[in-house]
Amino acid sequence: MKEKRDNFSWLSYIVLIVFTAPIILGYLWLFISTFSERTYGLKPVDLDGNFGGLTLKNWAFLSDPDIWIITMNTFLMASFLTFGVLLISSLAGYALSRINFRGRKTFLSMTLILHAFPSVTLLIALYFVLRFISGVPLLGFLFGYNTIGGVVLISISLQLPLGIWLMKGFFDSVSWDLERAALIDGSSRWRCWWQIMLPQIKPGLAALSIFSFMTGWSSFLIPYTFLTRGNKAVLSTYLNAMMSSDTVSIQYGVLAAIGLFQLIPILLFYSFTQKYLMKIFSGGSHGGV
Amino acid sequence: MEKEHRSHTGLWFIMPALILVIVFFFIPVLMTLGISATDMSSVTGFDAWKWVGLKNYVKIAQHPDSMNNFITTLKYVSLTLVFFNVGLGLLIALITSHINKLAGGFFRSAWLLPRITPPVVYVLMWSMLAADAPYGVFNQLFRIPFGLSTGNWVPEYAFLFIVLVNGYIGASFGMIIFNSAIEAIPKDIMVSSLVDGASYTQRVRYIIIPQLRWPLLFVVTYQTLSLLTSFEYIMVLTNGNFNTEVWSLWSYHKALNNYWGNFQYGFGAALAVVLVLVGTILGIVYMKYFRFGALVQEPKIDQL
Amino acid sequence: MEVKLQNLTKKFGTETAVDNMNLHIKDGEFVAFLGPSGCGKTTTLLMTAGIYKPDGGEIIFGDRLVNKVQPKDRNIGMVFQSYALYPHMSVYENIVFSMKLKKKSKDEMNREADRVAGLLGIGDLLKRKPGQLSGGQQQRVALGRALIKKPELLLFDEPLSNLDARLRITMRSEIKKLQKDLNITSIYVTHDQVEAMTMADRVAVIKDGKLQAFMPPIELHEKPRTKFIAHFVGNPPMNFFNIELVSSDGILKGVNSHFTLPLAKDRQPKEGSREVILGIRPEDISINPDSDLKAEVLLVEPLGRDDLLQCRMGKEDISILADPKDKHRCGDVIGLDMDNTTFQFFDCETEKSLLWFD
Repeated sequence: MKEKRDNFSWLSYIVLIVFTAPIILGYLWLFISTFSERTYGLKPVDLDGNFGGLTLKNWAFLSDPDIWIITMNTFLMASFLTFGVLLISSLAGYALSRINFRGRKTFLSMTLILHAFPSVTLLIALYFVLRFISGVPLLGFLFGYNTIGGVVLISISLQLPLGIWLMKGFFDSVSWDLERAALIDGSSRWRCWWQIMLPQIKPGLAALSIFSFMTGWSSFLIPYTFLTRGNKAVLSTYLNAMMSSDTVSIQYGVLAAIGLFQLIPILLFYSFTQKYLMKIFSGGSHGGV
Repeated sequence: MEKEHRSHTGLWFIMPALILVIVFFFIPVLMTLGISATDMSSVTGFDAWKWVGLKNYVKIAQHPDSMNNFITTLKYVSLTLVFFNVGLGLLIALITSHINKLAGGFFRSAWLLPRITPPVVYVLMWSMLAADAPYGVFNQLFRIPFGLSTGNWVPEYAFLFIVLVNGYIGASFGMIIFNSAIEAIPKDIMVSSLVDGASYTQRVRYIIIPQLRWPLLFVVTYQTLSLLTSFEYIMVLTNGNFNTEVWSLWSYHKALNNYWGNFQYGFGAALAVVLVLVGTILGIVYMKYFRFGALVQEPKIDQL
Repeated sequence: MEVKLQNLTKKFGTETAVDNMNLHIKDGEFVAFLGPSGCGKTTTLLMTAGIYKPDGGEIIFGDRLVNKVQPKDRNIGMVFQSYALYPHMSVYENIVFSMKLKKKSKDEMNREADRVAGLLGIGDLLKRKPGQLSGGQQQRVALGRALIKKPELLLFDEPLSNLDARLRITMRSEIKKLQKDLNITSIYVTHDQVEAMTMADRVAVIKDGKLQAFMPPIELHEKPRTKFIAHFVGNPPMNFFNIELVSSDGILKGVNSHFTLPLAKDRQPKEGSREVILGIRPEDISINPDSDLKAEVLLVEPLGRDDLLQCRMGKEDISILADPKDKHRCGDVIGLDMDNTTFQFFDCETEKSLLWFD
């Protein structure tokens, strides 16, 4: 019996390792080629194809001021996105969880449907919406087509269903008595939200903000579609442009370095906050089972 | 009077969300429907377009690429769903919940990496795994030692790779859902089945799988929707070349991004409407899964 | 402050949680709402607090109709079962939160916090967080938070049920003493009849959202108006038998297929049919080997001071208190004497008392 179980475990590990291999190999390649002249498979080689050729020159792109502008853009976009998602979802999530108002159920079911809704299919219409906003004075300057503001707003909207749903779930789990006590002590619902409830759902806020930041930092499709600056817009579009460039011969080491540059903050976040993030990846607190 | 004033509190809280949802979901859905009934394109511009009724839909039906792209989409969604999002997700959840806790946790974290890696970086990794010799990792590991041909794998096996690239992201979703469902199975049931002498496979068959019915439905509906519209990775990897133009990418290409610069908004929107319809139907199924009624408990504080 | 609940009604969906409740609580009175869980007592309390909105009826504080007055404007303090302390604030911040919202000066807050802390003996806890306190300490802080507002009405929602048994007894008397000293009108919700009986000036028994009785504890115990009250109040609970009233030799007797009990002259059902429910408390039954009334002991539960005997008498189950020294065992057959001056009678249909009326 015992023997048999051990065999089973070995088999389990082998299956796991085989299936996980592409992920591990992919990451390994990224790390190795970042510091190599070039690579044959995972083997760093010099220009003549012999083992060796370790170098830091792939990171030369860091001295290009452009990369810092792009990084700043990406950072700003991710930050605005995080702030917006956090604020708007926690407001709406609180109301949906805690306040009786007309249309509550409708809005809640809508949120749920939107959560699953294939929103990328709306990109064409969103293009028109942004063009329309562009025509409005002031607003157009901030949030129109080809502005970071517009891209951020769309990204926030796409993230909202998940955010609201998640926040609602977290608010649901806060004791009613706590809020009742606050109301009796003299708070308004606004103060309740800000001073009593938000501190109780800090893990949820942390999870959502990390997730939003990561999404914003990685986002490709929306900036790619709605920013005509194209490759110079954010890190993802920059990298994509270099990958698919026809004119310049592709230097994989440099690509890997830029990729790693974009990946590092994500990995750092991920390793410190994995537990929180698990909640979100399962589609909100009600996603699992 | 006071009562009137108070009952609006909730509305103020959801106001920002409401505005964004209206501007960026509701209006776009209606606009997509509307645009799909026009001949709007970069030729007509935004002024000279006219209503064409269902003409775009007729065009879809007659378009030479329709059948091909439809089948590609169907194949792509169903294969990825069955083998990766559900199959591999379930397999990994089962294995990692069975083996040593630490190792299980490690593998689950590893499987989440594709999901959090920026799409472009992620695709870069895959294209390097698949690259031609001597650079490609697969070629180095599996082909060069055997003296086999050593071209770039992506054009050769483009379809396989779009399935792999998306599948390796999708699998982690199923993995998490299934894993938490397995962990939610009361320990005493597991213990008593062990006492009854059930083998691991018997436990999977008779105890775990029956518990996964709802999570399974959830993963299938949710992931079908994701896959139907997840053209981002395909766009970066193949850009629809090598017979990998899925429906959503087709719509995107037609309307917003193509080599010839002729953006056919009307036709693209009609293609999108097809997906919106599928999305809405699956969305309703999805809502049923959540047993929506049970989730909407009445607030336990009234507005006076 | 007087509190009047008039025809108070609350519905949740189709379910009526509180049904036409009428209560008049006097100034300075300590009233307990007693009933099983889900009976509507907490709902009534929350309506009084302004957390729930009544579907009908009025809530009157003094001579002010407060139905639409916000909780914060009702000048009430409330203590919750879960304590509901703000976990992210220190004890001091918890206590002065209401004053901070009213923008009181620092000096005043310090002064009041000291006063309340002194009253409750929590002066040395002020800097801690609620999470670092024991249950009893948390409950004191919760009391402090309620008292600092100098409320005209104190509401307690099962405040002691999360505490261990011994602490519960000390807190019981402490709360009662505080209430008397400060002379604040109080409503105390509990499902524990001992708490209700020991603390309250008057007890409102609630069942299925309806007020069953509202009277001083002693009267509740001695003169139960319904079978429900008779059963719910008193521990161990009262025994009940269905009997038929038969008059023979000028004496009214209660007859059952198995036994006949003569009734006391001055304690007989006032009206109603021949079929009634007879109730007697275990402590009013004594063991007498010579009695003709025999019962078989099924189970002996040692309670410490007494043994509780679960017996069978004919088809009826009956519980009796016995002296542990007598060492009764399962299977023993014992003789019983029932004190017929303590009998209670209830109508079989309405389950209302046939002895006591309002």
